[in-house]
Amino acid sequence: MFDLIIVGASAAGISASIYAARRRLNFKVVAKSFGGEVVTSGEIENWPGIIHTDGIELADMFKKHAEANNVLIEEGKAIESIKKEGNIFIISGKNSDGSAFEEKAKTVLIATGVHPKELNIPGEKEYKNKGVSYCSVCDGPLFAGKVVAIIGGGNSSLESAIMLSEIASKVYLINKNPKFKGEQILIDKVSQNGKVEIIYEAKTSKILGENFVNGIEYANKNGEIVKLAVEGVFVHIGRLSNSGFIQGIELNEVGEIKTDSLGQTNIPGLYAAGDVTNIPYKQIIIASGQGVTALLSAVDYLNKNH
Amino acid sequence: MKVKIYSTPQCGYCHAEKEFLKENGIEFEELNVFSDVKAREEMINKTGQMGVPVTDIDGQIIIGFDRGKLKQLLGIRN
Repeated sequence: MFDLIIVGASAAGISASIYAARRRLNFKVVAKSFGGEVVTSGEIENWPGIIHTDGIELADMFKKHAEANNVLIEEGKAIESIKKEGNIFIISGKNSDGSAFEEKAKTVLIATGVHPKELNIPGEKEYKNKGVSYCSVCDGPLFAGKVVAIIGGGNSSLESAIMLSEIASKVYLINKNPKFKGEQILIDKVSQNGKVEIIYEAKTSKILGENFVNGIEYANKNGEIVKLAVEGVFVHIGRLSNSGFIQGIELNEVGEIKTDSLGQTNIPGLYAAGDVTNIPYKQIIIASGQGVTALLSAVDYLNKNH
Repeated sequence: MKVKIYSTPQCGYCHAEKEFLKENGIEFEELNVFSDVKAREEMINKTGQMGVPVTDIDGQIIIGFDRGKLKQLLGIRN
């Protein structure tokens, strides 16, 4: 049986794994895929010590660092259930070939991150990957020379606007609020960008198309429906926690795992870190720090209880 | 067996798939659908969609990084 299983292989999970390896725990990392949301982050300029990098490069460095510490990482595993029986956790799910797996551990660290939130409007599901995308850095290049719309009002939508302005012929940035919630440096860059047209107080109501997207509709602040001709729609309206598979776990009203300042959840021996938790700031460096905090808490727990 | 990957430079899943193929000793041809307009049109025509990565294994198409399907079509064990 393992001392610890870390679920998730991005900032929180990998930072924890490096510490776990140095503590010589008997542990492994299981994950759907390496890098999580980090690899979709695009440019990264706020990780101390590295003035400029991107998500793929940083995730590669995480991987190399874990490998240098002989961390066992099993990718391609979809976790379906975590439950506690006695003082043992049972983790089960599916391998990439569809076969089932089950693991047992004394402690578990959940670092499963988030996935993009959807608009839930007509046309969105129908045109997913046919003009609707949730990843600007992945899919943006396919819209070279085209008119696109970005939906959102935070950092991700601003970063997307900056990136797409270099690729697309025109970018509409549609914010349902009268202001942006994000870093001023990004707001300034977008406001000064001649290719980006910001539309405030606009609620996107429909995605239009035939074989592919050819437009969107939004309600303006007077409630009038306005139509825009666009070929791409990039949705950056926030993210939702990947937290729906743990029996008895306490979540907040938006589905984030509640933890204390040491990463402890309501279930003794079960820890959580990074974007999946109720931390309001979804940042790579915060996730890393939380991962380490939770790991050290788990070590304390193991020392006291096993 | 001929393996082609249609991808974009900053796509994390494309990168992960390429790493996965390299680790398993599979040779592949890489098509950058950002810089190569012809490859972009070819990919969209083949799949009727614009998501990347797209993998073409002797005419069999996989959309997205699908480890299970790749393993199956390429005969990768473990």
